[in-house]
This record gives sequence, structure tokens and C-alpha cells, in this order.
Amino acid sequence: MIRLESVTKSYSSDVIAVRDASFEIAKGEFVFLVGPSGSGKSTLLRLMNRQEQPERGTVWVAGKDINDMPESKVPYLRRTIGNIFQDYKLLPNKTVFENVAFALEVIGRPRHVIRQQVPAVLELVGLADKEDRFPHQLSGGEQQRVSIARAFVNRPLILLADEPTGNLDPGTGEGIMRLLDRINSTGTTVVMATHDTRVVNMMRRRVVQLDRGVIVRDQERGVYD
Amino acid sequence: MLSRISYALRETAAGFRRNATLTAAAIITSAVSLLLVGTTFLIQRAFDNLLTRWKGDVELIVYVRSDATAEQVQLIEGALKSQPSIIDVDRLRYLNQAESYAEAERLFAGDPGTLRLLTPENIPSQFKVVPIAEDSALVRELGEQFRQLAGVKEVAYAQDVFDVVSRVSQFIRVATTTMSIILLVVAVGLIWNTIRTAMFARRREIEVMKLVGATNWFIRIPFMLEGLVQGLVGGILSCLGLWGLNTAWTNAVTDFNDTELAALVVTDGYASWIMVLLLGIGALAGAIGSGIAASRFLDV
Repeated sequence: MIRLESVTKSYSSDVIAVRDASFEIAKGEFVFLVGPSGSGKSTLLRLMNRQEQPERGTVWVAGKDINDMPESKVPYLRRTIGNIFQDYKLLPNKTVFENVAFALEVIGRPRHVIRQQVPAVLELVGLADKEDRFPHQLSGGEQQRVSIARAFVNRPLILLADEPTGNLDPGTGEGIMRLLDRINSTGTTVVMATHDTRVVNMMRRRVVQLDRGVIVRDQERGVYD
Repeated sequence: MLSRISYALRETAAGFRRNATLTAAAIITSAVSLLLVGTTFLIQRAFDNLLTRWKGDVELIVYVRSDATAEQVQLIEGALKSQPSIIDVDRLRYLNQAESYAEAERLFAGDPGTLRLLTPENIPSQFKVVPIAEDSALVRELGEQFRQLAGVKEVAYAQDVFDVVSRVSQFIRVATTTMSIILLVVAVGLIWNTIRTAMFARRREIEVMKLVGATNWFIRIPFMLEGLVQGLVGGILSCLGLWGLNTAWTNAVTDFNDTELAALVVTDGYASWIMVLLLGIGALAGAIGSGIAASRFLDV
């Protein structure tokens, strides 16, 4: 599903974010990218949806070299990838329903599809009764659920999560992990960057560890350290 | 498709509400600049009218010295009338000193210094000559012959005035065109800035849109529509202004119906074309300004 071949990305001549990274993620896998802040986890995620372009190496997503892709095709690539962030990135002036519907609206889905899919995905993340709330009326965990609903409403092949539990207390973070696990079990590939030791050890999934931009460990059913 | 159109329209309308003051500034600037563009066109047209009118009956003026005797004046008149193949004898007019002074009072109304030097006693009388011959060189040749006659002070050709008018109109044309271009650039800049501000205010939304796979055009179109409508509203306002200006000017000029000023009136048909043009320029400028702003922001 995702393949990186000797990918190097630097932001300036002396800051190398990712150095010669190669690995492959199969369809349906759940992968943790772990390592301290600044080790290149987020950059790896940003390389996978072409928010960044590597200096060297190739990134393959769903069988396509995404760096060779014309700019006009990038939106269609992104429709197959859901994104989740530490700070949720919800739109404060829209309700829960509207935030999720927005993702479908801006890719031109017809209204009847929106009316059918948004309640379904809100049901999945456990927020069916809160669709008219605004983000500031929700707890952090609920806001993250909305953002997961938004990322998943279009049934993407891949879900990229950047520190999704970073702002949440442990109990709430566990709930988010259970939700991601459930989404993963529907066949969606999940790649999650985190330095949350607890959730990594709890899940026992594949762990790719980074240190200053270099992959130092790639382990099936791994723990944080 | 329908949902996309309704999305674009809703966002465009929301853009105006969110950004009312900047939008108003952009609209007013584009209205003023377009009004100037329109005025430039009308002035050019008016001067063209003026020049055509001169061309229609080029006048030759034979000024007679103030101390010329009655016999000398008669001699000159006789000489003029002896050239019916070149001049229109029926329309030959003689303005005596009193009449010439009255005319000068009008001509130099804006120039009291010159007027003060003139009196009904020292002012030259004049023969106003309407030529029949189309060839202005022939008229000039005849004029030069009259210059030799006793009692003739000076021979003036409308052709020379013509050059002055051309030069004045040229000057006004350059000045107003330059100003309107500068203002138009300012208007495009303001629209650009309005859209940039609007996009900055909504950068989170745009980021989310890009991440969920909205195409750049989808994001851009509401902003471009917003700019286009700003330019168009500016254009409409400038049309109203131009219409008012032209009407007021026409009314004012009608009061001087006997003078050349009457030629400085632009007929409504031409003014309507200019208005259509202004609407077009306004819409285009708005779309370009906002298009540049939107593209810049999306590429970052």
C-alpha cells in the first residue's frame, strides 16, 4: 500500500529530517512510527500524502509514484488518504455534522450522499447524539473523534495519524486507540506517529523507530522501547 | 454539480459579510478608477467631435488693422468675393470692431489679462471666411495673398487652432489615461489584498480542504467570484457616475449652444458602449486580482 525507497528529505542543508528511509507497509497494516520529537515521524507522514516532496528516493502509494504525479492529480490522491492531527484541525464555526460533511462537500459529493454517510460515520465514532454541537462544546477526546470521523467519512484506503493522543489524558487516548483499531479492522491501513509509550505498548503492533531521521528499528508486534 | 455551484455562491456571499470594510474600499477604488477610464474615453470622444466640427468648415480669418480706412475694408471684401471658387461668398461674415470686441469678451473670459489690453478701438475687425474648396493648401495660398493687401493685419487659419486643440486633447488624453491606469492598478491591488486577507482568515479551512482532496479550482473559485463581483459592482457604480457626469455636462454645454463647446457633447450611444466596456474591465480586473491572490496562497 505504501512503499518508501531510500527517501531523504531535508529542510535546509544542515537539518536532515529523514535520511535514506526504506520500508513497506502492506494493505490493512497498523504501523506506529515512534521516536523523540524532531526524529522525522511527522515528515514521513507528510511525505506519504505529498505535503512534502523528498530530495531523493521514491514514495509509492497504492501503486503510484506520488512524486512523479502532476499537481492536478494530488487532490485525488488525498481523497484516498485520511488525516488526523494532534490539534484536531476542526473548523470552530461549524457544527460536528458540518465539519464532517465539509470533507465530502469540498470533493463534490452530492447532498443525499452526505446526508446518508455523515450520520453513519458519527455513529461509528460514538457521537451520533452530538452532531449539532460546536467543537468548543466538546471534550478533547470528542473533538478527536470528530476529526477521525472527518478523516474516515470518505472511506479512505489509508489513515495517517500524527500524535492523535498527544493532547489527551490516558483514558481518553485509549478510547481513541480502540476506535483506530476498529477502523483498521475494516481493512484501512493506519500509520500513526506517536511518542506515547503507553498506547504503543498496549496495542502491540508493528513499530518503526526513528532516530534523527534514520530508521533504527522495524519490528512486528513491537513495544515502544 | 449543483452542490458545487451552490457551495461557490454561498461562500462568495459569506466572503462579503466577513470582510465588509475591505470589500467596500476595493469596490470604491475600482469604481473611481473605472470612472476615470470612462471619462478619458468620453473626453477623447468629445475632442474628436470638436475637431471634426472644425474640419467640416475650416475657417480662414482675415484680421483688419484697427486703423484701416473704410476704402481698404471694402477693397478686402471685394477681393474675397472675387474668389467664389474657393470661398463660400454667401457665408462670408464681417465682424466690425464692436462685434469683434464682444466676441473677444467671450473668447478671453478665462484670460482677463489679455482682455484688458483690448478695447473696441484697438481691436482688429475681421472677415470670417468659410471655404468651399476642400483643399486646405489652396485656402492657405489664398490667405497668404490677402496678407499682402493694404490694411490686413493678420491672417489666421483654423488649421492652426486645430493643432492647439489636438495638442491639448493629446495632453488630456495622456494625463487621464495615465491616472486611470495607475488607479486601475491600485484597484486590482486592493482587490488582491481583500482576497488575500479573506484567504488568510480562512487558512485553516483551506488547509483542511487541501488535505481532504479539494481541487485548487474548487477552493479558488469562490474567492475569484468574490473579486469578480467586487470589480463588477465597482463597474456598475462607475457607470452610474459616468451617466450622471455626462448628463450634467451635456446640460451645461447646451447653454453655450453657439460656441465650439457644443461639440464637446458625447451622444448617449457611445456612452452606453463605454459603460459596457467599464463593466467588462471591472469584472476582468476583479477576476485577475483575486485569481493571482488565490493562486499565490494555494501554492504556498
